[in-house]
Amino acid sequence: MSDSLTEYPFDLRPAPEAVAHQQRIAVDRPLTRVAMQYGDEAWAIHRYGVAQQVLTDPRFVRGPFARRERTVPAAFEFPEFLLDTLQFADGDEHKKLRRLVQVAISPRRVQALRERTAEIANELIDDMIAKGDTANLAEDYATPLPIRVLSEFIGVPVEDQPKFILWATTVLSLDTPEDEVLATGMELYSYLLDLIAARREDPREDLLSSLANARDKDDTLTDAEIMPIAMILLVAGFDNTAGFLAAGVSALLRNGDQRERLLEDLDGRIAPAVEEILRHAMFEVGSPMAGGMGTVAMVATEDVDLDGVLVKAGEAVYVDPASVNHDPAAFKDSQIFDILREDSPQMMLSYGIHSCLGAPLARMEMQVGIAELFRRLPTLRLNGEIVRNMHVLTIPVTDLPVAW
Amino acid sequence: MGSVVYTQPDGTVRELEAEAGQSVMQLATKNGVRGILAQCGGTLSCATCHVYVDETDLADCGPLADFEDDMLDTTAADRLDCSRLSCQVKVGEGQTIRVTIPPTQL
Ligand code: FES
Repeated sequence: MSDSLTEYPFDLRPAPEAVAHQQRIAVDRPLTRVAMQYGDEAWAIHRYGVAQQVLTDPRFVRGPFARRERTVPAAFEFPEFLLDTLQFADGDEHKKLRRLVQVAISPRRVQALRERTAEIANELIDDMIAKGDTANLAEDYATPLPIRVLSEFIGVPVEDQPKFILWATTVLSLDTPEDEVLATGMELYSYLLDLIAARREDPREDLLSSLANARDKDDTLTDAEIMPIAMILLVAGFDNTAGFLAAGVSALLRNGDQRERLLEDLDGRIAPAVEEILRHAMFEVGSPMAGGMGTVAMVATEDVDLDGVLVKAGEAVYVDPASVNHDPAAFKDSQIFDILREDSPQMMLSYGIHSCLGAPLARMEMQVGIAELFRRLPTLRLNGEIVRNMHVLTIPVTDLPVAW
Repeated sequence: MGSVVYTQPDGTVRELEAEAGQSVMQLATKNGVRGILAQCGGTLSCATCHVYVDETDLADCGPLADFEDDMLDTTAADRLDCSRLSCQVKVGEGQTIRVTIPPTQL
């Protein structure tokens, strides 16, 4: 039974308390039934094993949301256009599309962009150094890096990049008036449509070319299928990657021992460090944390027993990544930030067939972004408090003052 | 019971007992074997569970699954003749499968 020590969702509290709270909940019960702002009640999943089970079990589907039979249970009204994307498709149809798209954002393709990402990172670091010995790392590095990498990855020609980046940042910026966002969004949309058409004619080595020419026997992806993918990549690819980058740097700067361990073998240790940053680092940035975030819900098509709790046919479930990433049954001393942790198969980028499509890109950008920063500026230190915008869903980091 | 021997790119070796029918990926992620990401949970859509199978054990691994061939072309580390996606390789009763983990999965 939940009491004040295991109540869920819970409000902002100091991060160590929030972690302890998450740990107690996962021990107490696998799921909590939560009233949502939109849609029906839903079950939040707290245990890692249960999350793994649900995210790979075809008895949990999203079709009812795609068919508009049900409202997505969430804390916000789910944007209509997303309901028609891959994220809400099920079964074989989804598998086929997902694989076509994943080939276009494959580890191999991302790998090919690694060196270029390091170059972009170093250009940004050069600019910071040229300006003095302090910077707002969120603005000068963590935000521009993913935007620039993504525009190259998508295949925006160099001469169009300034325009493209301006559009993308306007659409995503927090303080742009709504009508300006709409107008810019339209420009961005039609620009991408033209680019897809051009790449269909004359393919190159980039994402839009492979999406425009992706083929599975007699199927090709249509503009209507490609556009939401490109838009999701833009929206998810900037903000989230920027947030993780900033959180990672901040966590390393606040945990000197971990930063030392990383610097001892930067290239060898950056990959596990990034996994641990994804798992836990938001809890290490020094700002309070709440409990209750979740991935997009899924609906049970039949009664399913999850660790002793019966989820009935038609009921919705979602995974709280912060919860499962601190499940003591899956992660020893899950409150500890340990960049060499052996057991860090974190679920921040979700898991299973609906896991984050841009995950290879996000991971590569974090690895290169953090490694290059510490390589060039090994004396980097915090120079003020990190500021996060709590009023926006992704809670983006707006200020990360550093010095070197 | 069967077993899987995982060799890391740095030469570190770890042998784990497998239940019959368990995949090389499942066994690895359950036991925190580094270097097998398996983001898609075995649904053959991430190519981050790439391994090189010891030549002598290749025959025990069964044929390539439908679409595995295509996905193997998208792995971060080079594809070799002995490349498999470990989520598609199931350990049979009494089998020992030796795999080497590639230097990178992305
Ligand atoms: S786990 Fe994703 S392809 Fe094997």
